[in-house]
Amino acid sequence: MTSLTPGEDGPPARPRRVRVGVGDLAVVADDATLTTSGLGSCIAVAIADRRAGVRGLLHAMLPSAARSRPAAPRPGKYVDTGIDALVDGLVAAGAVSTRLDAQLVGGAELLDLTAAVGPQNIDRARQRLNAASIPIVASDVGADVGRTVRFVASGDVVVRAADGFERTIE
Amino acid sequence: MRVDVRALGACNRLAERGAERAAAALTDLTGTALAVEVTGVSVAAAGDSPAAVAADGEWVGVRVGLSGGLSGAAVLAFDADRVDGLLELLPGDASLRHSAVTEVGNIALGGFLDGFANHLGRAIELTPPQYVSADDPVASTREGSTDDPVFRFESRLEAATNLDFSIALLPAATPFRDLARGRPRSGEANVAEGAFSEVLGGDIVTGAGHAEAATTGVTYDALLRFASLAAEGSETAAANIEAMTGLKTTVDVSRLRFVPLTDVPAAVGTAPHAGTVFELHGEPSGYLAILFTEPSAARVADAMLPMEPDEPLGEMAEHALCELGNVMTSGLIDGWANVLETSISHSPPEFVHDIGAATVSPLVAALSRRQDYGFVVDATIRTRGVEARCDVYVLPDERELVAVLRRLADP
Repeated sequence: MTSLTPGEDGPPARPRRVRVGVGDLAVVADDATLTTSGLGSCIAVAIADRRAGVRGLLHAMLPSAARSRPAAPRPGKYVDTGIDALVDGLVAAGAVSTRLDAQLVGGAELLDLTAAVGPQNIDRARQRLNAASIPIVASDVGADVGRTVRFVASGDVVVRAADGFERTIE
Repeated sequence: MRVDVRALGACNRLAERGAERAAAALTDLTGTALAVEVTGVSVAAAGDSPAAVAADGEWVGVRVGLSGGLSGAAVLAFDADRVDGLLELLPGDASLRHSAVTEVGNIALGGFLDGFANHLGRAIELTPPQYVSADDPVASTREGSTDDPVFRFESRLEAATNLDFSIALLPAATPFRDLARGRPRSGEANVAEGAFSEVLGGDIVTGAGHAEAATTGVTYDALLRFASLAAEGSETAAANIEAMTGLKTTVDVSRLRFVPLTDVPAAVGTAPHAGTVFELHGEPSGYLAILFTEPSAARVADAMLPMEPDEPLGEMAEHALCELGNVMTSGLIDGWANVLETSISHSPPEFVHDIGAATVSPLVAALSRRQDYGFVVDATIRTRGVEARCDVYVLPDERELVAVLRRLADP
């Protein structure tokens, strides 16, 4: 079987990529790059304990599970249950809750047709993180642009819009 | 045959897990990480041609006979143009294309069916794999009643080579058919109920669950009729475009697909798209999006405008695409409303131009307050001469659609 792991003289191995789908979340404790794409009104919440090297990414669609009709077997669908599940996952993976910081991306208003889900998602994320005493250290939210996110091992969040330009959020 | 809408969701969950196992099996074989990106399930008419049963266009793959937990047959189809990319990842000499496809297909299909066996709690026996292709009549050979529908699962694997595969299950009387029906067959209650309680959190197997299943059930004939309506609407839309632009326009693919709403953005993809979005009012209400890739949008707008626009997708192009979206949407919903004997109207067009997945995410979010799954009408409309194609995503309110379908079955 061929192996894609480079030898000693080869280029450095690229970190593995963990894709986070819509309404989903993932936690890593290595140098993996967490990615999520096609954020419109949805919001991505990236939380890290940088000292422990534990990071997690959530791609939530709606602000709150309380206002939705289907039961919520999928906590990542909602901002509130998603942040709670993400923090639980980070702590289970070795993070210390008092060392966590958060970065927010998304929550755009792309369409006039739909109710302002994007701003509601942003507000809900801020409230939930505030209640959990997790500081927001960087964000790129609102406006009317779609975004794709990479959460890299250094803890930086790199955002790309439809124009293809990438930038690290501050 | 009565098909339960919620049970289709359960089938989809089983298929997702099966596709993940297929991807894991291919990852082991090729040494390249492959992840499942999209899984959808559609129901095809039993009388469809073999090519249409397993996949659209040219494909190669394998067929196996099934017994045990599922009986009947299963066909796995790889897109013929893309399978070479997968075969190149294989160790050793992949020049023997037939045997390589058979081996890879058999491994992927085995992985997929393992997922089903696991959830059914019963082993599924497979006959030796047989190489088949789109024009091979053996692909759709089946046992049991030919009135049974074909369930088609489509998955896209994310890898160096974007690889699509689809799996058609041609079930004979089995617990699987009962899954789609939403109620266990007598004597095999434990099998079907076990699968249900796991995938639906148990609410189908309770008394209340059965009542719920009854309200979401539609006959298979009604579902197929709706699927054919979708095609009819697409034809009307194509005719409208042709009348408006003078460009010869055809519908390539038109199909009703049942997908988790959260998979819809990934199905559109991350490439920039331009197009129009509409809100639908009436029965059913919902949303409709007509999306072109950027180059297609620019070409079709250019073809519609009397003079070359100042910028490729500027204000003039926006107006042209909105006008085009209007005539297409009118064509689509007029066709449905006439046959469904309902009234559907649409909002003015809203122009979108962004990452494809992002343009549909607000629509998906709005609908997902009430439902987890959606019917997506996939239509690819192609205009000749300007090489432009678009995809149409129709996301109706699930309950209203079911009500309309039930009325079709019981007028």
